Amino acid sequence: MFAAFDKVFTPENILYLAKGAVISLIIAALSLLLGIVLGIIGASAKRSKFFIFRMLGNIYVEVIRGTPMLLQILLLFSVVPSIYTAFTGNVLRINVYLIGIIAMSINSGAYSTELIRSGINGVDKGQWEACETLGLTHLQTMKLVILPQAFKRIVPPMISEFITLIKDSSLISCIGAVELLKGSQVIGAEYFDVMSPYCLAAIFYLIMTISISYLGRYVEGKLAESD
Amino acid sequence: MIKVEHITKKFKNLKAVNDVSLEVQKGEIVCLIGPSGSGKSTVLRCINGLEKPEKGNVYLNDELLDESNKSYSELRRKMGFVFQHFNLFPNMTVLENLTLAPIQVLKMTKEEAEEVACQYLDRVGLIDKKDEYPNKLSGGQKQRVAIARSLCMSPEIMLFDEPTSALDPEMVIEVLEVMQELASEGMTMIIVTHEMGFAKTVANRVVFLEDGKIVEENNSKDFFESPKSDRAKEFLRKVMH
Repeated sequence: MFAAFDKVFTPENILYLAKGAVISLIIAALSLLLGIVLGIIGASAKRSKFFIFRMLGNIYVEVIRGTPMLLQILLLFSVVPSIYTAFTGNVLRINVYLIGIIAMSINSGAYSTELIRSGINGVDKGQWEACETLGLTHLQTMKLVILPQAFKRIVPPMISEFITLIKDSSLISCIGAVELLKGSQVIGAEYFDVMSPYCLAAIFYLIMTISISYLGRYVEGKLAESD
Repeated sequence: MIKVEHITKKFKNLKAVNDVSLEVQKGEIVCLIGPSGSGKSTVLRCINGLEKPEKGNVYLNDELLDESNKSYSELRRKMGFVFQHFNLFPNMTVLENLTLAPIQVLKMTKEEAEEVACQYLDRVGLIDKKDEYPNKLSGGQKQRVAIARSLCMSPEIMLFDEPTSALDPEMVIEVLEVMQELASEGMTMIIVTHEMGFAKTVANRVVFLEDGKIVEENNSKDFFESPKSDRAKEFLRKVMH
């Protein structure tokens, strides 16, 4: 089964996969950060008093959560160059990493929207009322009282979202980005054995996800201390 | 000082408050009592705008409390509000809870606000807790902090919404003592309460509500000694034991 395991298991190959793992991690981290920015915008839209913003927020979340991420990546990968060509007449040499990060950010943003929104909604209504009776404005209440409390509720699920993104970053291998999964396929093709590099890739994924999961538990414990 | 004119508030199809009118003079202490669901808390929440009545008006010092009024938020903050569940800010220390609004709303400096806050904390007997977080306090202490927090905004009137209902029995007294002290200093107060003993001794006037309506209104001595309506008689028979 593992025909070439000893041949695959060389320092060069492991270093190559480790680089792929770092790329996966960076892509996931950037997508998470941009997704949080989109999530803040999305959550504000969904909490807006204007119907049109609420509607746009809802459409964003429903469309993104209701379609596969792989499809979103492939669609963006094909749509962006064709729009560029339609407008400029030139052919766009596309950066697949950039497209991957944008697609994953848009996807993560929809989930972040819901996490942030439910984090804010989870803060006791009495906190709003207390601020109201003390004369604080909506913005002051949000910034000084609600968000600091919502933050604690948002961080633990955000860490799970990060783990999801690390795993899902493997999807951008299909548009040609060389990250951890694609890296293992490259090695597999070289030695005519995909099984060994796949197993190594799995180990790298596990190292990343398990350590973040532990970090998450630590942070959660820290946050719970003042409850 | 406070004038409530024919307010009506519906929740779904239930009239929680049905055509209630009420006047409170400066320095007066009025207790709203009645069975659960009688609308007494809703009346109180309508007075300071936490609920918007469908019909009727509320005036503070002859100024209409309405969002269209330019000084609406200014008027509202002249009314301190104490909640059943305290609603302290768990992410802030006791001192920060007290100084937040004076700094943000009254634009006091941190030092000024802290000085005022410490005075009030001292008055409710909790100056040694100023750097604690609310989760380290007992229920009675939390409520005393909440009262001090309201007082930091120098309100002209204090509204209390069942301030002792969420407390363990042995902590009720420490909160009532703080309220009694406020009363003796001449603070105007409207109190929704189930503490009949307190209402009897501290209130000038008692308003008895049932099904969203005022059934009986009298000075507290007469109300407790010789209630006129059958409803009030029956209520008192059940709660005074």
